Amino acid sequence: MDFRTLTPERPSAPPEDRSEEERLHRERPSWKDWLELRTGWWGFVRKNLNEPMPPGVGWWQTLGNLLLTLLVFQFITGFALAMYYTPSPDGAYQSVRAITYDLPGGSIVRGLHMWGSSFIVVVMVMHTLRTFFWGSYKKPRELTWLVGVLIFQVILAFSFTGYLLPWDQKAYWATVVGIRIAGTVPGVGDALMVLIGGGPEVGAYTLSRFYSIHVMLLPASLMGLILIHLFLVRKHHIAGPVVLKKGKPQPFYPAQLFKDAVVVLVGVGLLVYFAYAFPPALEGIADPTGTEFSPRPEWYFLGLYELLKVMPPGWEVVATLIAPGIVTIGMFLLPWLDRSPHRHPARRQWAIVTATLIILFIATFTLKGIIETPKHHAPAPVTSESPAEIGASATD
Amino acid sequence: MNSTNNEPLHDDQAPNPERRKFLGGLVGLINAVVVLVVLAPTVGLITAPLRDRNRKGRWVPVMDDDLAMGETREATVELEVKDGYRVTTRQYVVYIHRNRNGLLCFDPACTHLGCRIRFQEEKDRYFCPCHGGVFDSEGKVVSGPPPKPLSRHEVKSEGGKIYVFMKV
Repeated sequence: MDFRTLTPERPSAPPEDRSEEERLHRERPSWKDWLELRTGWWGFVRKNLNEPMPPGVGWWQTLGNLLLTLLVFQFITGFALAMYYTPSPDGAYQSVRAITYDLPGGSIVRGLHMWGSSFIVVVMVMHTLRTFFWGSYKKPRELTWLVGVLIFQVILAFSFTGYLLPWDQKAYWATVVGIRIAGTVPGVGDALMVLIGGGPEVGAYTLSRFYSIHVMLLPASLMGLILIHLFLVRKHHIAGPVVLKKGKPQPFYPAQLFKDAVVVLVGVGLLVYFAYAFPPALEGIADPTGTEFSPRPEWYFLGLYELLKVMPPGWEVVATLIAPGIVTIGMFLLPWLDRSPHRHPARRQWAIVTATLIILFIATFTLKGIIETPKHHAPAPVTSESPAEIGASATD
Repeated sequence: MNSTNNEPLHDDQAPNPERRKFLGGLVGLINAVVVLVVLAPTVGLITAPLRDRNRKGRWVPVMDDDLAMGETREATVELEVKDGYRVTTRQYVVYIHRNRNGLLCFDPACTHLGCRIRFQEEKDRYFCPCHGGVFDSEGKVVSGPPPKPLSRHEVKSEGGKIYVFMKV
């Protein structure tokens, strides 16, 4: 074993001097050694840098790191945006307009935050699919998967609550439809709508409620869940490829961390390009009486929205609750539904086939929604197939 | 690959120290770029008020000029000011005083901790209700904790009206 290829045991000790414990206790230790003696931080860093990567681990295992980076970006940009944002119907739109058009750096920070949410959904889906197709959710990693699915749900809740905050037409009407979807839950639908929206209609309390959830409840939950997720990932180590490759595991640092950094650089580069090339816009202020606006949700909810459109009257609950509910519960329970120890896709065909069909189904409906989205969200005339009426019919 | 993964790594496959150092440097460089990319616009946005603090200001008529020699009077002006994302009407109070050298205009904030001072005509003094600061009619500290005289606005008399330069 060549110790020089590993991160040294102490920050300031040459790797060859691993046994020289007294170096730590010398009269004038370096500040790193001083801190190590009191906190053990270097041991933590070292353990993670030396984390063994099984042969075959590579680019596909970089998505989690990119996802974490993008989430930290959301936290930083969100912190700055919240300094200028006012969560009330009298100030929300005006404050977002000032952020977007008046304040220096406002457009780019809001652009990073807005595009960041889409990037996160894309990377999160890729990360989840990688874990699924590699069969990495199997024993002993069931809880890592379960916590990951919880993070998935929290991120969707982030985008739903964040979408309302600019308080423009798009934001308002997407939320009206979204909350009415909750109203289709049999029995408790009406109560659920009032509870989520803070009242019978989308208004001042909906906005403050969504804001509070978006900046307090969800970030706190996400941080806790991510810590558990990372702890479990390190505890059980990376699963490695489905077909074991020959060779010895390599330390995480530097090869794998370098791949992580390259992917982060590419992902962040794309995000910055989008934030500059397609700056965030603001539509007309939310108008609850307006009939000129055709509401559409954010693109990653379009699949659900299109499914809702093709449902015959009275069957909306299939699209609003039953289908997404089954998929969500299926995701949560996956490690217990597919209990065989085999990770190879050929040895767990039913899981692969079912998931592929669901993915194709969601992709088709999402694509249909994207294709049918009018450019620039131009105010569309209300037709009999208008989503506004569909949203309304869910409770009328 | 399960629980105990502390078995030594094979040195024949491990990267040599130079490559390790090089890749480490690259990772550090990339991280620095990524941090800069998010922090630059964010810090720019957070510190925006710093670049907005030197407001131009404007001359505002506050009252008719019928002020006698030695007299002090309180004047209230309503101004449209930019308050964040909105424009709002805000009331400002100033004290105008005429002495032999001309007009003086005082801001009603005590120079100690910013409490609102009051002028008592019969004593010809300003009194601060918070910690007992006292100023004379020309703004100088008479007693109490205030460290310096009352701050002034520029003031002028023109066409029978008194104008004050308000930095809002």
